Amino acid sequence: MDLLPSTDQEQILDTLRTFLADQAPVGRLRDHGAIGNPDARLWPELGALGFIGLGLPEDQGGIGLTTAEEALVYREFGRHLISPAVLGLTLGARIVANAGDATLREDFLSGAARVGIANPRGAVTLGARCSGDFHLFDADTAAWVLVIGQEGAGLFRREDFAAIVSVPATDAVITLERARLDDVAPRLWMSDGDDPLHARALLLLAAYAVGLAEGTRDMAVDYAKVREQFGKPIGSFQAIKHICATMAVRAEAAHCQACFASLVLADHGADSDFHATAAKIVATDSALKNSAETIQVLGAFGFTSEANAHHYLKRAHLIDLLWGDLRSQRARLLQMPTPA
Amino acid sequence: MDLEFTAEDRQFRAQARDWLHDNVPAGHRPHGGEEMRAFDRAWQRLQFDAGWAGVSWPKDYGGMGLGLTRQLIWYEEYARALAPDNHLCFVGLNHAGPTIIARGDEAQKQAYLRDILSGDTIWCQGFSEPNAGSDLAALKTRAHVDGDHLVVTGSKIWTSHGHLSDLQELLVRTDPDAPKHKGISWVIFDMNTPGLELRPIEIMTAPNHTHFVQCFYDEARVPLANVVGGLNNGWNVAMATLGFERGTAQIKDQIRYAFLVEQMIERARARFGNAHLAHDEIGSRLAQLRADMAAARAMTYMVVSRAQAGIHGSEASLMRAMVGDVQQRVRRLALDIIGPDALENPEDDDWVYFYLRSYSTTIAAGTTQIQRNIIGERVLGLPR
Repeated sequence: MDLLPSTDQEQILDTLRTFLADQAPVGRLRDHGAIGNPDARLWPELGALGFIGLGLPEDQGGIGLTTAEEALVYREFGRHLISPAVLGLTLGARIVANAGDATLREDFLSGAARVGIANPRGAVTLGARCSGDFHLFDADTAAWVLVIGQEGAGLFRREDFAAIVSVPATDAVITLERARLDDVAPRLWMSDGDDPLHARALLLLAAYAVGLAEGTRDMAVDYAKVREQFGKPIGSFQAIKHICATMAVRAEAAHCQACFASLVLADHGADSDFHATAAKIVATDSALKNSAETIQVLGAFGFTSEANAHHYLKRAHLIDLLWGDLRSQRARLLQMPTPA
Repeated sequence: MDLEFTAEDRQFRAQARDWLHDNVPAGHRPHGGEEMRAFDRAWQRLQFDAGWAGVSWPKDYGGMGLGLTRQLIWYEEYARALAPDNHLCFVGLNHAGPTIIARGDEAQKQAYLRDILSGDTIWCQGFSEPNAGSDLAALKTRAHVDGDHLVVTGSKIWTSHGHLSDLQELLVRTDPDAPKHKGISWVIFDMNTPGLELRPIEIMTAPNHTHFVQCFYDEARVPLANVVGGLNNGWNVAMATLGFERGTAQIKDQIRYAFLVEQMIERARARFGNAHLAHDEIGSRLAQLRADMAAARAMTYMVVSRAQAGIHGSEASLMRAMVGDVQQRVRRLALDIIGPDALENPEDDDWVYFYLRSYSTTIAAGTTQIQRNIIGERVLGLPR
């Protein structure tokens, strides 16, 4: 038993961190509004480095690592506020690989494909025929759209959706559209019995939220060390210090549970759904609270668009609402059997 | 990263499970007094005789000499077997013993360690004083050297089970002229020493519940040979001690609390109905606690992982802060599930008793506020 990354895993993370620090500093979000998904330019290189097919078996064109490595990668994606459309590639690649389409699989794994993600706006019907109202994220230039639920997951072409209307997004660096499926068959469908894609999705969202919780913790701590009032750094006052400490506790809880869940999932454990759901609950709760408190620690500056705190807050809300918010995840978790 | 235990670990787990299944004492642990002391000592003795006491303690002093992972496994099985927590042995097993192992001399190790494991001696703590709580280093109980003895005068407070203990880990000021962290010594104090008087302190749970004592020392004599880690080096020694309290022993509590949450879910379903519970405020709190209990366990695994890798920072305080908060929320929620009957506090039903006890969770062994200072300064590097 060991929850610390191995030397190999550390090397993978070093590569990714270097790439993201160079290509995706959080400051990039100040330079654009909702003008499409500029992070899509990162996909080919992430594909070439193997990050999209990291957890997919080698005989399906992937790198052959596990959910544990995927979770570590998504934690970094969260820290850098990478477009959540990347989930469309990671999870979509599993659907494509499962369908046995080698050409399309290569398209996804190489990062060439443009994939948006869909989130239900209310009750929807999923399966052989799909219906309902959805939000589409970063799907304006996408050929494909990922739809996911507890029943399974499917890929649609963008043109399969009706009544696509662009709407201003709360998380304004994301393009957001309303769209509808009217009794449409997915182009590809994978039921949850074939692969626990729903649990995988919750886990990756949890890992992403860990990155949000840690990124905001660090932002608040760094600011508290240098911002001076009453002649000393505000981090020396317990009122601020204890907020930062509480943020650290939350981030640690979220990170540890995400690690634990990723390993249970990698082992195909019976409690995969329980731990992935618990991870999403703890991590989104942490991300929402930490980003809110970071704005408070940064004071008036935290309220401006220049501070990046608001990007983290809005992304935390997006991650919470994606594929089941805290309220619905808690209701699901309560109904699950007692884990081992 | 992995959750795999080795074949040897799994075999150890199976043996522990079997032994606990056959040997966990039946019946209720008495709430206090000599009956409680007798119960705890007998249960500790049983574990010692079978070789299970001190899984990670050195073999030379009666332990098994195994690593922290085995200690974790033992505690997990211990909790799953619903084995009673012998609280009277806690200070010896988790504070005094590990401190003597880390900082004691050979004579002290030979003299004290085996008796801790066997339950022959019960230890208590003499750290806090009426005017030195969170600011522990402000302690004023003084001791001066007289021949080959220290002579102790002063008072300690919040000593759990002091009236049922044989020995005490005691912090005294041996150099009043040194800076406050420098003039302290960590000594082994015999609770039968002339000059010691105890005053029991009732706690908030119910009338006549005595848990603490206040200790008054009036020129009580302690052999100099009982100083651990060197005269005036006690602060350093004490900090090592406080670290042990935040380690693997907590996994027992976490598994117990996870079990409690499952019991509470059953009770809530029975009272409110399953369908109603799903979107009820109580259902929401239960689900959040289920998730938080899972996270607390994962945090403990992380503490063990770091210790195995030789990383000994202050990060364990993150886990402790989480656990204190979660345990209090569990106990508080239990009351809301029980409803009006929570206004009854019978001696043979523990729910209300432990709810009231849970107020100590965020005070004992460093308040939540002190923990947050430690996290802020030692984990996050914020200025003092």
